[in-house]
Amino acid sequence: MADDTATEDAPAPTEPEAEAPEVVTDDRREALLAVFAEHLGDAVVEHHIRPGQGLWIRVANEAWATAAEVARDAAGCKWFDFLSAVDWLPSPFGRYEDSYLDKPFPPPMPERSAAVAGLTGSDTRVQVLASVAKVGTDLRVFLKADVDDDKPSIATWIHTFAGAAWHEREAWEMFGIDFVGNPDLRHIYLPTEFEGHPLRKEFPLLARVVKPWPGIVDVEPMPGGDDDEDDEAAAATAEGEAG
Amino acid sequence: MGLVESGRMPKPLTKLLNLSRKYSVWAYQWGLACCAIEMGAALAAPRYDVMRLGVIPFPASPRQADLVIISGTVTDKIVPAIRRLYEQMPDPKYVISMGSCTNCGGPYWDSYSVTKGVDQIVPVDIYVPGCPPRPEALLEGIVLLQERIQNEDMAARWRGENRGDPIPVG
Repeated sequence: MADDTATEDAPAPTEPEAEAPEVVTDDRREALLAVFAEHLGDAVVEHHIRPGQGLWIRVANEAWATAAEVARDAAGCKWFDFLSAVDWLPSPFGRYEDSYLDKPFPPPMPERSAAVAGLTGSDTRVQVLASVAKVGTDLRVFLKADVDDDKPSIATWIHTFAGAAWHEREAWEMFGIDFVGNPDLRHIYLPTEFEGHPLRKEFPLLARVVKPWPGIVDVEPMPGGDDDEDDEAAAATAEGEAG
Repeated sequence: MGLVESGRMPKPLTKLLNLSRKYSVWAYQWGLACCAIEMGAALAAPRYDVMRLGVIPFPASPRQADLVIISGTVTDKIVPAIRRLYEQMPDPKYVISMGSCTNCGGPYWDSYSVTKGVDQIVPVDIYVPGCPPRPEALLEGIVLLQERIQNEDMAARWRGENRGDPIPVG
C-alpha cells in the first residue's frame, strides 16, 4: 500500500507539460476541487490535480469527517472506495533483494526527517488516505489528512459511509490510528491477541532477527554483471547475427 | 476392529486392511490460497483425475476424512481452525502439506501474520514443495502416502509408535 502511493513520487507529468506551449487543464476536476474548497474553506491544506487522471486533496485533521460529508453530498462522490493510511518513514529493514544489507540487526531507525510524503505533502509521519468516486464517471478523489505522530487519531467516517467501519478497523490495527467515534475498533485481520501495529515502519520483522533475507543466495547473477563475460560474449555474437 | 487395539493383527489381515484403506482415502480439501486452485486441478479436473488412484476428494465434513490436504498460506489467525479441523478427523488420519507457504511460510517468510509452516500445529506426513506444485507433484505425494498406508503396522500406530518421518516429495 505504501509502495503504491510511493509511486506518486515519480516525476510529476506537469513538468514537461509546463515546457510545452499549451498547458493541459482539467476543468472537471477543477470544478470538483472548487466544491471542496467552497465547503471546507481553509481546511483544504493542499491539492494536486493530474489532468485527466486524478485529484488529490489534503484536508486538515479536524475537517476529516466534514470532508466525507462534502464528498458524498456536495461533490456527489457517493461511492466509498477505501480508507487506509501511509507511514511515510523509509523502512529500516530494506526492501526485497537489497535486504541482505540489513546487517547489523536491528537496523537503526531512519531519522524522522527522512520521511518524504507523496503528492500534497505531509506535516506528520502517518497520513490517513481515503478514496471516493463519482459513480457513472471516471472522477475520483483521494482525500488525505495528517495524524499526529505521538497520538494518532482522527474522526471516523462511519456516519457518512457505513462501509468505512471495516477499513477503519484495518487502519487501526495496522497503524494504531484511533478513529474517534468508531465504536467497534477490534482486530479484523490479525489474531485477537496480536500486539503492535505491523504496517508501521518500526515494527520488527522477527524472522529477520533470526536470519537476513535468505533469497540472495538463490538469485542467479544478473546479466551484465562483472562475472558473466561468457554471457556478454554470447550477447555480442547474437547482436552480430541479428545485425 | 478390536483386533487392531489388541495389537494381535494377523499379517494377512493387516495387508488386506491396509490395501482397503490405501484405495479409499477420503481427502478433505483445506484450500487457503492460490494453491487451492492447483489442488482443484490436480484432484478433480479430468486430466489429473485423482479418483483413479482411489482418492475421493469430496467428504462432507472432516469427520468423514482420512486425509487433509492443506494448501496455501497458513496465517496465525486461521491456526485455531486448522487445529480444530485436525482434531475432528478420526484416526488414522494423514496430512499433506502442499506448497511452499504451507511447508515453511514460503515467500512470506518474514511476514508478521503468516505461520512459518503448518507442521508447527499438526503433524505432516507428506511435504509437497513448489510455488505452486505441479499437479503431478501432488499426485506423487498422494502415491507416496498410499505406499506409507500400505506398509503401515496398524497395531503399532494404535499404540502411538510408528508414526513415521515426514516424506518430502522430489
